[in-house]
Amino acid sequence: MAHGHKSDEKIVYVGDSRIRKRTNKNSVPPDYTAFPGKSEVFIPNFLLKEWLVGCVVLVGFLVLTISEAPPLGYPADPTNTAFIPMPDWYFLFLYQYLKYPYASGDYVVLGSVFVPGIAFGALLLAPFLDTGKERRFYRRPVTSALMILSLISLVYLTKVSWDHYQHELEITNTVPEHIEREEKAREAAEKGESFSAVKKEEPVALVDANDPAMDIAKAAKCITCHSPDLNGNPKAKVPSLHGIGDVYSKEELVNIVTNGNGGMPSFKDTLSAAEIDQLTTWLAKQKKAQ
Amino acid sequence: MSNHEGQKPVRKEMSRRQFLSYTLGGTTAFMAGGVALPMIRFAVDPLLQKKEESAFIKVTEEAKITNDPVEYKFKIHQVDGWYESEAELVAWISKDANGNIFALSPVCKHLGCTIGWNTENSDQYVCPCHGAHYTRDGKNLSVAPNPLDEYEVKLDGGFIYLGPIKPNTRV
Amino acid sequence: MFKAVYNWIDERLDVAPLWRDVADHEVPEHVNPAHHFSAFVYCFGGLTFFITVIQILSGMFLTMYFVPDINNAYASVDYLQHKVAFGGIVRGMHHWGASLVIVMMFLHTLRVFFTGSYKAPREMNWVVGMLIFFVMLGLGFTGYLLPWDNKAYYATKVGMQIAESVPYIGVYLKELMQGGTIVGAQTLTRFFAIHVFFLPGALLALLAGHFFMIRKQGISGPL
Repeated sequence: MAHGHKSDEKIVYVGDSRIRKRTNKNSVPPDYTAFPGKSEVFIPNFLLKEWLVGCVVLVGFLVLTISEAPPLGYPADPTNTAFIPMPDWYFLFLYQYLKYPYASGDYVVLGSVFVPGIAFGALLLAPFLDTGKERRFYRRPVTSALMILSLISLVYLTKVSWDHYQHELEITNTVPEHIEREEKAREAAEKGESFSAVKKEEPVALVDANDPAMDIAKAAKCITCHSPDLNGNPKAKVPSLHGIGDVYSKEELVNIVTNGNGGMPSFKDTLSAAEIDQLTTWLAKQKKAQ
Repeated sequence: MSNHEGQKPVRKEMSRRQFLSYTLGGTTAFMAGGVALPMIRFAVDPLLQKKEESAFIKVTEEAKITNDPVEYKFKIHQVDGWYESEAELVAWISKDANGNIFALSPVCKHLGCTIGWNTENSDQYVCPCHGAHYTRDGKNLSVAPNPLDEYEVKLDGGFIYLGPIKPNTRV
Repeated sequence: MFKAVYNWIDERLDVAPLWRDVADHEVPEHVNPAHHFSAFVYCFGGLTFFITVIQILSGMFLTMYFVPDINNAYASVDYLQHKVAFGGIVRGMHHWGASLVIVMMFLHTLRVFFTGSYKAPREMNWVVGMLIFFVMLGLGFTGYLLPWDNKAYYATKVGMQIAESVPYIGVYLKELMQGGTIVGAQTLTRFFAIHVFFLPGALLALLAGHFFMIRKQGISGPL
């Protein structure tokens, strides 16, 4: 150990005799004398240079994130037929390639499994396919040519796919959702309104809250159960009377008030027929705002 | 470590290595700060959001209030980030000897359990968790360090409206 | 104070050789952009790692607000981006960073390829590097669904269709990935788990192997 043997130490480490010390000449990292020229230590000399590059990248990256908001469209809607799906840009080449005749239809297996499988498999196993000692790319014409061809096709496929998408947008006269959303949010902000693409269930307001029927509701102790704002009490399974007109017709309401319903008592004796009529007419008007 | 460096050298000028180390430290701090600061501001945002004062909610009729506390439930519109809901709150409402209506919050000031009225037939609020006791006015008798909080009360047109919670003003 | 704590630990664990090995190893001239400007191509690996660290951090912070549920996912992303301070920037870091990682990794791969650095004895490191590439693409694919907007939904449907075209196992593969017969609630939670736990776990393990091997074998020599 680095500290050598100290007589006052309680534990003395000895070498593990089960592991043979190897002299692995091949895998030992070459020390810097193997490379002529000015080598330098990693920390702090070299890392500083690397991190100066890192700082430049970071500043550029922060400028990008500040100036370009990340895109967000509208909530997913499986019934939306107008939407033109687009994968992330780095999958575009695959997306485009699968449109070609020998990669689709009857040949879809060839397109989706074999060709990408061979391409990515070859890339994964490149060191075992290109086994020569030569490292310079211009001395390895076959390997380099294959890679350059792949790169050209990647760029080409991506570009064709993107152009096609732009063309589709143009002929269908579509604005991509994230742009449309941002535009609408900006317009709303200019008008001082708040904007959200999230669909919300608007609470249903009482229609004609000052109608004299409200006084009947108070007098008849409707509000004892249905709460003073007539919003009901979901825990006790007492329904809200807001929007009750969407659930029951006037005749049904008359029946419920007169004879009771489930936990609700009959109001036959408390209210006169005229009062019930007035109350239910008002309740039947309680519909969701269109 | 100690073997390599031995005695601390007498400080003269900054060595090249020290200079590089400090510069590297500065660069590291810049990168870490540039990355982490927006994220930390993002994470602490709930602390810095403006708290909205809760509005007054109609709870019950004034005429119903007696000298004995009764539990009333009412709903407030609660906005919790992206989640909006109608949260139910509870208030114990009663009248004092002068006929003033006041509403107590049911949250025990000891460790936040929910108190009940007169559960031990002692005309006191009792907390079921650790046996805290409060008087009618919410004065803490045992265990709890503070009296029960009050709701702000507003009377309008025969109805009682309850607003934000405030510290007890009665004891 | 710091020194005393360090010495206390070092006496017990002998940590000096661990970090000394990283700190003091010599970096040759041919990869140093200060000596040859063209050596900047050797920076792409380090930059990929830097952006990956940003991805991990921004992702951790995003999960403070994000909910992987089809009713709330979009609302929570909308909230964190537009209502929380710096939300646009933090989500922007994660969104644009994803693209930047792919770019940097692509450039790094090309550098290794065209300098023939993958040749013996570094074959294994190339294979591990390619696996990292695939894991990154997987992270991109699974992360794309999470905001649950139309773009996310339809891009994932297309991806699922591609998975289905695999002979024999395609149908099962698709259902396994979807967690059901449709792209829906179970797909979202599944993709979230893969995006946040499985793939990052694999990524960290592969990265450790990648770095261990490069430390053990050293950087490839000059051409």
